[in-house]
Amino acid sequence: MFRTARRTHDKGPAAEALRLVKVSRTYGHDDSAVTALDGVTLSLERGTFTAVMGPSGSGKSTLLQCAAGLDRPDSGIVMVDGAELTGGSEAELTRFRRGRIGFVFQQYNLLDTLTVAQNTVLPLKLAGRRVDRERAREVLSAVGLGDRLGHRPDQLSGGQRQRVAIARALVTEPRVIFADEPTGALDTRSARDVLLLLREAVRVHGRTVVMVTHDPVAASYADSVVFLADGRLAGRMHAPTVDAVAERLAHLGDDVTVGV
Amino acid sequence: MFVLAMRSIRQRPGRFLATLLAAFLGAAIIMTFNSLHDTAAQHGIDSVSAETLSTSASVVGGYGTLLVFFAVASTLTVNVRQRSRELETLRGSGATPAQRRRMVVGEAVAVALLGAILAVGPAMLGGRALLGVFQDNGQVARSVDYSFGPYALQSGLGITLLASAGAAFLAVRRATRQRQQRGRARTFLAYGTLVAGVVSVTATFGFSSTDAALMAAPAYGAILLSVGLALLAPRLLKLLLDPLELAGASGWLAVRNLRERADQVAGILMSLILFTAVSTATLYMQAVESDTVKASGLTKSVDAKNLETLNFTVVGVIVVFVCVMLVNSLYAATTYRAREFGGQRLAGATPGQVLRTVGTETAILTITGVLSGTVAALAGIIPFTMVRTDSVLPHQGLGIWLAVVAVAATVTLGTSLLTARRVLRTPAVEAVGLAA
Repeated sequence: MFRTARRTHDKGPAAEALRLVKVSRTYGHDDSAVTALDGVTLSLERGTFTAVMGPSGSGKSTLLQCAAGLDRPDSGIVMVDGAELTGGSEAELTRFRRGRIGFVFQQYNLLDTLTVAQNTVLPLKLAGRRVDRERAREVLSAVGLGDRLGHRPDQLSGGQRQRVAIARALVTEPRVIFADEPTGALDTRSARDVLLLLREAVRVHGRTVVMVTHDPVAASYADSVVFLADGRLAGRMHAPTVDAVAERLAHLGDDVTVGV
Repeated sequence: MFVLAMRSIRQRPGRFLATLLAAFLGAAIIMTFNSLHDTAAQHGIDSVSAETLSTSASVVGGYGTLLVFFAVASTLTVNVRQRSRELETLRGSGATPAQRRRMVVGEAVAVALLGAILAVGPAMLGGRALLGVFQDNGQVARSVDYSFGPYALQSGLGITLLASAGAAFLAVRRATRQRQQRGRARTFLAYGTLVAGVVSVTATFGFSSTDAALMAAPAYGAILLSVGLALLAPRLLKLLLDPLELAGASGWLAVRNLRERADQVAGILMSLILFTAVSTATLYMQAVESDTVKASGLTKSVDAKNLETLNFTVVGVIVVFVCVMLVNSLYAATTYRAREFGGQRLAGATPGQVLRTVGTETAILTITGVLSGTVAALAGIIPFTMVRTDSVLPHQGLGIWLAVVAVAATVTLGTSLLTARRVLRTPAVEAVGLAA
């Protein structure tokens, strides 16, 4: 299993893994401008599993990209693990993300030219960190792929690829793992495995997971759900159940209309 | 299917630019030289002029055909590979393999026709300029008028269209065949060419040092050897990569990428090998020949001058052609990797690291290509120098070779790095989503 004793990054443990203050992001210019995020303020504690939900176009993907340093907000502050994400070149943002942030995407984003084991250690290689092959093997075994180390991504099923992606996100021991529709392309059983692994990363290893999803079942694995509508926060639900989330989601539009 | 082919060209003209360029350049070269046949066939031309013109036309015309086929084939292979998704969709919609083949071949022929028609004007100008060169050198009489006639037009259109159709047919057959079972025929061809090359190079020793045809045997030998090596290019690359371990994340990634992509970069390697071999061999042999003639105090005959002009023209044509092909295929291949680069960036690679990876890959390719090409060239240069002079190696030094290498390195590194930098301007998340 994962070794929690190895805590290379726990220098100053910040209570908040992620903090957004009045983050806004607009795409396009003038007439055709679309406000994807409209002054979102949000704080997530360490060791929590949060789902971000909302209808298409509600800004949930933009929220994730801004919070993860993949996109730069027009205004507002983003803090990851107590450090402010400041604007800069892509190289600077990349260095900021390394070690602090891990990603799991709907389309897996594995490199086809690398084996499962090589894909897993790639972030360490790129960051110039020491590559502990033994540990990579442990992480891959923990996600159930200990016997697939030499396989290429195209020899794996969707669920297996996503588990490689999770192993890759875990191996750098990041503070926050961002998952964008991680189960969007998976069958129910593979989806369940992936969600349990994400939950385990939080419960057992103390990571913080932020997951964008449109699936109430996926959201029910989280500790809490943040709802988003028209680029604004539209409520929060703790200990979500599938039915409660679905119900809330169905009436999200109503809430906003009332709110306005 | 033909209607679909036309529509697919109209909708995405950019995608066919590479093929169009290859067909255009090929047709221009073929027509330029074949118009010399037309010029030679006019009434009242003296036999020396006519022979000069016909010989040049035949030699370079033959080269041209090979080049067009090779160039169109390499662009079409890239084109078809990048459209595997579209072809798969067509398969899903009920298109038979024959229908898909007809579509791709139809597109290729249409594009080739356009390229060949566009090439008529430039070919006329080029042919006129070439005739001027021959006249200035005293190889062709001043009284000869330029003529662009049926021979140039027929051969230009015919060869370009046939080469395109053939190349498209092969490319799509390779892409639509379920199981890849290439290899044996190619290996056989490669070894056959290598053997023929060795025979041709060895035949050099059968000539006397003043034989007019002395240069033919080693030159053809070197070309055959380079073609053989070019056919074996993916294997040569794998041989080099197997023991190779480079330091740093970029080097590590570059070696692994190339190991997996060895077959895909075969076209780029082929171009590099042919370019290096043909230009190095021809330029050194011509230099040795010229210096030897000068040292002996004799003046050059018309034949010798013809040969010199031809040699330089051939090198010029090949250099331009192969450079364009290299730029073409490297640009296409690098653009196609946008998604892969996005994946690397999301895994924590800075844009600089991605560029370094691309640079390292290109450098490995260039070194492999240049070394193989140099081996083939030396195999021709050494016998020629031994027979023509008393030494084994030419006295001209490394200057020519360094110039050839510099051109190759500039073209390959320049194209792939500039293209990669452009590709990196797309945000990583977007790049990953594009093809998803």
